[in-house]
Amino acid sequence: MKGIFSVLVENKDGVLSQISGLFARRGFNIDSLAVGETDKHDVSSMTIVSTGDQRTIDQIEKHLNKKLDVIKVRRLDETKSITLEMMLIKVSCNLNNRAQLIELCSCMGAKMMHVSAKNMTIELHAAPDVIEEFIELVRSFGILELQRTGTIAMLKG
Amino acid sequence: MNAAEAIVRCLEEEGITKIFGIPGVAIAPFYEALYHSETIEQVLMRQEQNAGHAASGYARISRRPAVCVTSSGPGATNLITALATAYADSIPIIAITGQVESHLLGRDVFQEADMRGATESFVKYSYLVQNADDIPRIMKEAFYIASTGRKGPVLIDIPADVQRAQLKKPFTYPSEVSIRGYKPNTRGNGQQMAKVVEAINHSKKPLIVAGGGVILGNGEKLVTAFCEKNQIPLVTTMMGVGVAAKSNPLYFGMLGNNGKPYANRAVASSDLLIVVGARIADRAVPRPENLEKSVKVIHIDIDSAEIGKNLGPTLPLVGDVCEIFRELLTADVHIDTTAWLSSLEEMKHSTVDHRKFSELGVNPMLMVKTLTEKMEDDAIYVADVGQNQLWSADNYVMKQGRFLTTGGMGTMGYSIPAALGAKLCRPEAQVVAVCGDGSFQMSMNELATIAVNHVNVKVLVVKNRYLGLVREYQEKHYDSHYSGVRLHDYPKHEKIAEAYDMDYFECSDNESLPGVIDQFLASGRASLLVCNVDSANNTV
Ligand SMILES: Cc1ncc(C[n+]2csc(CCOP(=O)(O)OP(=O)(O)O)c2C)c(N)n1
Repeated sequence: MKGIFSVLVENKDGVLSQISGLFARRGFNIDSLAVGETDKHDVSSMTIVSTGDQRTIDQIEKHLNKKLDVIKVRRLDETKSITLEMMLIKVSCNLNNRAQLIELCSCMGAKMMHVSAKNMTIELHAAPDVIEEFIELVRSFGILELQRTGTIAMLKG
Repeated sequence: MNAAEAIVRCLEEEGITKIFGIPGVAIAPFYEALYHSETIEQVLMRQEQNAGHAASGYARISRRPAVCVTSSGPGATNLITALATAYADSIPIIAITGQVESHLLGRDVFQEADMRGATESFVKYSYLVQNADDIPRIMKEAFYIASTGRKGPVLIDIPADVQRAQLKKPFTYPSEVSIRGYKPNTRGNGQQMAKVVEAINHSKKPLIVAGGGVILGNGEKLVTAFCEKNQIPLVTTMMGVGVAAKSNPLYFGMLGNNGKPYANRAVASSDLLIVVGARIADRAVPRPENLEKSVKVIHIDIDSAEIGKNLGPTLPLVGDVCEIFRELLTADVHIDTTAWLSSLEEMKHSTVDHRKFSELGVNPMLMVKTLTEKMEDDAIYVADVGQNQLWSADNYVMKQGRFLTTGGMGTMGYSIPAALGAKLCRPEAQVVAVCGDGSFQMSMNELATIAVNHVNVKVLVVKNRYLGLVREYQEKHYDSHYSGVRLHDYPKHEKIAEAYDMDYFECSDNESLPGVIDQFLASGRASLLVCNVDSANNTV
């Protein structure tokens, strides 16, 4: 199963390595990790997505809570949350297939950021599964470079 | 006032009177401040790991955090094993390590070691002090963190220039701490508590499994009072040895591979296990998953992350052992365990211990039994690691004393420095360290610390001329291919005793054992007793 954790942490040095160290040491997966400052300069927010069985996901929550620099841990139910991720992807294309790629982009709500003779750089922000879908759709064009920010998530309401 | 002086002031405020360590240039400002303290005495150890173990022994007896200190680089890295040991055993120690000048941090200069990074998984929390004015807050927090919730070591790494820096604000020691990410909950959840009581009332064969957490939480009296009030029997893990006196009719020994067979049978026949402050690690119950199917398990622990870690679905109750048992003592528990108790009693008398012991040399089980029967009622017994530890834990006769050992990390060499720390905490107590001839050599350098400080610690070496526990393992699993386990007849222990001004005793047979132990215990100064044990003896 998938676990999405929204974690508020002290914004000080060493905290990120404490959290990633915790996952590494206990053999928990990190599927994605997004970190940034909140509106309070001394608090950062992390969204961590992990997969594992129920026991593992429970243990992750408990061990996160145990860290003294972790202020708050919330486990988000995917169906009740907004999840969003951003991606930059460079896809090879030429005169013959460019139109096809442009159509795909507009279909999926992706933005063309740069076009050259041999490739196109595309930005997409969407739910993680849409991002996955888009990657599959453009794979046949040839992916030259890909960067994802990792999921950020927030409970609705 | 500079930061080093501020640290000393904070330690004085915390009532610290002993500090275990070894200085170096990077911690020199702190030692200078210590030099002027009227109440704190520094104890110069012979190796930093032992400074950590001595602080551990001290902390376990005082039941408060104890302090160790090292210089930077190798001094600090030498301490890591002791931190890992304290972390695994949840012992509250404060480790102060010197660090290179702040402007040199990260440049790999002489004796720089990234202690925060290196100890990340071995400490409960760590600080790198950057500002002298943070000292009072950091010290207050460190003591609080080490001694509350699930206890453990806290590291304070402090660059030499920060130690010398003057405080800009006047020194005040805070009376409160506020750490927003750390609010250990101590009271058990009311609903869970009700479920626990209900489960007990529905059980016919309840059994308490007490672990080291009971002792760390100072809960021995309340837990045994609960057992007595409701006539619920009790077994312990190795770290829980000492929760109940041997003479307590409700106490059915230590469980596990190396424990009492009847304690394991009790676990197997119980219908409700009440696990308190125990992590149920592989040593205690080899296959915990087999347990859950047949019995109901209540798991009481201060650390919610322990729940569900090794044992599967249980009825969890998170909180402080004292608070929980104080409440359980007032709860309406009404069960009749007469039949269960008599079947356990019957089990105890009918279970035959099949372990065979060599006719040669001293019988190690008898040795532990005789020694602990002869020790003073409130004496402190510190067991090292190896076969000797298992014989100790299994045969220790608990009266009102303390049994200290490292169950979590199993660090050889723990007993001598920990015994020294324990003795310095309670100078009036009789303190005996029991170790193997291998473990002895991992910390025998501290016999100098013992001699210099005139500490009357008793050291008993169970001498089998082997790294016994590993030899036993090789015998069973590798067809007796003994590889790297022979110690031969070194050192010459009588010469070691002489070198460190200790009284020396030796025993090679069961007949003379009681008499030799009497002399060993009666001697007015630190003494060494070597019991020659046949290497053929096994623990299981
Ligand atoms: C620091 C450390 N190194 C290695 C081990 C692995 N080990 C466990 S028991 C043991 C042998 C201990 O020998 P000894 O102290 O002579 O005690 P005995 O088993 O003979 O009673 C060893 C090497 C350990 N636990 N700790």
